[in-house]
Amino acid sequence: VDFVTSPDNTPATPPPTLPPLPVKIIIAGGFGVGKTTTVAAISDIAPLTTEAEMTSESVGIDDAGPRPAKTTTTVAMDFGCVTIDASLKLYLFGTPGQSRFGFMWDDLTRGALGAVVVVDSNRLDDCHPAVDYFERTGLPFVVAVNTFDGRLSHTIDDVRWALAVSEDVPVLAFDARVRRDVRDTLLAVLDRALDRAVHDSAAAH
Amino acid sequence: VTRIRPFVLTSGRVSAEGPYIGLETQVTAHGEGVPTLAPEMAAIVSLCAVPTSVAEISAKLRLHYGVARILVSDLHVAGHLDVYSRDVTTPPDPDLILRVIRGLRDIT
Repeated sequence: VDFVTSPDNTPATPPPTLPPLPVKIIIAGGFGVGKTTTVAAISDIAPLTTEAEMTSESVGIDDAGPRPAKTTTTVAMDFGCVTIDASLKLYLFGTPGQSRFGFMWDDLTRGALGAVVVVDSNRLDDCHPAVDYFERTGLPFVVAVNTFDGRLSHTIDDVRWALAVSEDVPVLAFDARVRRDVRDTLLAVLDRALDRAVHDSAAAH
Repeated sequence: VTRIRPFVLTSGRVSAEGPYIGLETQVTAHGEGVPTLAPEMAAIVSLCAVPTSVAEISAKLRLHYGVARILVSDLHVAGHLDVYSRDVTTPPDPDLILRVIRGLRDIT
């Protein structure tokens, strides 16, 4: 249940002190793939940075210890927002995704409408953990290949094949600096989210 | 900038009690004026004179997200903040998603 209730007799514009309903989309990807550029291209505000603790299990990485090491890392998340209307605000959280995911990711993605996995087609490995995570948790997502100056070093089909994502996951090319491209990428996520929501609500009745 | 070990401010606690608080959760000051509080707490309350997300509190006051959400929770319990928690256990409503879609389509 949303906290903003709108009985028929309330005025269309809420009083200014009542906060908007916040929704969020996660922008995931490895370092330097263009997450912050993506957020900045469409955000109402210059991106802000919050730091969060993430727990990651370093498994099989030159560690001869008896147990897998559990390390806590501080990661920086750049975020911005888009005011949809006076009572609805979309937040975009750019989240590093090149390491293994710990409990923090469950927390960050809780309540999210969906996610964009931003990909540099020269470094596809960086996005595997994010793709795996979203496939496992069932959060609607799209793979967005950042074209960096309009050039794509691999075709979309090659990227889809290399990532082995499900057929129903859109893989699209975009320029992270271009607002309309970012908008269309977010709309692709929301189309997926809408399909899911319609399906879920039909199943519930 | 003074660097304090992140969880000193929260007396070592790493999780908050009470309602769900996420990055996007909106927070407002409860009532008028800033009560007498520790500087970090007072800074949060004055920032929330206008609706503010926990992520913005964290970013603008340079508090770790985990710390910010615990302090917000404490201030809520103490009656200094209103926290607008959403129910995140039910899937998003199709009408809500449609509103976001229509809003984004207006962006050029």
